[in-house]
Amino acid sequence: MKARILPSLALGVGLLALWELYVRWAHIDPLLLPTPTAVARYLAQNQALFGRNALATLSELLVGFTAGVIVGLALGVLMNAWRGFRDATYPWLVATQMVPIPAVAPILVLWFGFTLTPKATTVALMCFFPVAVSTVDGLGAVNPEMIRLLRSFGARPWTVMRMAALPSALPRIFSGIRVAMALSVVGAVVGEWVGSTRGLGYLMLHFENRGETAGLFATVTVLTFMGIILFFLVGWVEALVLPWRKYAKETL
Amino acid sequence: MIPGPAALRARGLTRVYDDGHRRVPAVDPTDLDIPEGKFVTIVGPSACGKSTLLNMFCGLDRPDGGTIETPVLGAGALLGRVGYMPQSDLLMPWRNVTENAAVGLECLGCGRAEARRRAGEHMRQFGLEGFEHAYPGQLSGGMRQRVAMLRTFLCGRRINLLDEPFGKLDAMTRTSMQAWLLDYWQENACTILFVTHDIDEALFLSDEVHLMSPRPGRIVLSLAVDLPRPRRYSEVVTSVAFNRMKATLLDQLGKVAA
Repeated sequence: MKARILPSLALGVGLLALWELYVRWAHIDPLLLPTPTAVARYLAQNQALFGRNALATLSELLVGFTAGVIVGLALGVLMNAWRGFRDATYPWLVATQMVPIPAVAPILVLWFGFTLTPKATTVALMCFFPVAVSTVDGLGAVNPEMIRLLRSFGARPWTVMRMAALPSALPRIFSGIRVAMALSVVGAVVGEWVGSTRGLGYLMLHFENRGETAGLFATVTVLTFMGIILFFLVGWVEALVLPWRKYAKETL
Repeated sequence: MIPGPAALRARGLTRVYDDGHRRVPAVDPTDLDIPEGKFVTIVGPSACGKSTLLNMFCGLDRPDGGTIETPVLGAGALLGRVGYMPQSDLLMPWRNVTENAAVGLECLGCGRAEARRRAGEHMRQFGLEGFEHAYPGQLSGGMRQRVAMLRTFLCGRRINLLDEPFGKLDAMTRTSMQAWLLDYWQENACTILFVTHDIDEALFLSDEVHLMSPRPGRIVLSLAVDLPRPRRYSEVVTSVAFNRMKATLLDQLGKVAA
């Protein structure tokens, strides 16, 4: 693990150092590009502000993400179990992904006001799709021989789903959930941009209007770290839920 | 040979596959009697319809013609009442050894804890002691096959259909698994219908061997293997009687394959 983290860490530190040196030697206007140390200083001096707003974004994001994953899973299972439902809904589900989220977000604010709901809905709208698609694919990819074996034991369709299809689909479903987690950060920020009084997206607009570039960079930094931590958290949960994966030589 | 009470009786069994373009006969009219408590083997070349026969005997596939009776089981659907072990072990990579062995019992409605407890009781007998919590990806081919076999035998079926269970094993593992299967079968009275394309394996294991022709499959020769039991591999395969039967089977196979 260490060996895999070290190169990326070294690269990051190296790039930051180059950035710092460039800004200092070329005398770049800090309103255009602040130094990494200035950004870090800004972060350190305004911890409470960033903490408060990060928490607001995080709660919108987690509510929306959870809802999106649940809806995506349910849709995926239904689409797999019921061909007619799949044929009827699939094109429309694709259509929802073609509508630009920034266009939908203002409508949501119009409906739900300056509350958590429109942001969480924006996140959920972006999250459910990759989860639904990976669930359908995963459930459909179960080894047909496995189904026959379970049927020879007298298993009913639901038992086959529970014992074979769902567990064998889990690795794919988790891939979808990881994508959803990455998208949910975007969704939360977009949701905040169109109408909010707090959160990291709101903070970005706030700093932009006031010309506080260091604050803007600091917000992006916080947002990035939040996204990375959440992304790897999903991977960690996956390793907990699927301990067998590291031994599985063959795909099933 | 004096026919005992039949565990399974097939009459005029046929199966034709229709792939939408043409009709491919897989099994030509076949009669077969499996006496109760016997070890019976169907031997034949690849793709001769052996597996199709087994699929019909366990209720996964329907014959297009003919009848299957199972006097020892009584009337009713076959699915779920005949033990079946497919060619590949089909272990679930997300279940450990004990949990995999319990799959059959769980499907039959046995509680999860009870199924796993009963699977756990057989670990030593199936040479899986110490591997109860290992995942399939950590096991050797022979061990995987024993887990799959335990999964089938745990269901306690009076008729068990084994479809080339040792086909993918190396020769040495295969020999020891054959001896082990015979020991198990002799301790646990049940009827076994075994399918293989290995004539040595068929003769070493069985009370009766039925030779199938290439597709469309039908039984072209039935042989009673009256070698004494218990059998030792080294003695049996070098004996005169064994090799005489082997020659008969190979001759017949050469005729039908030509």
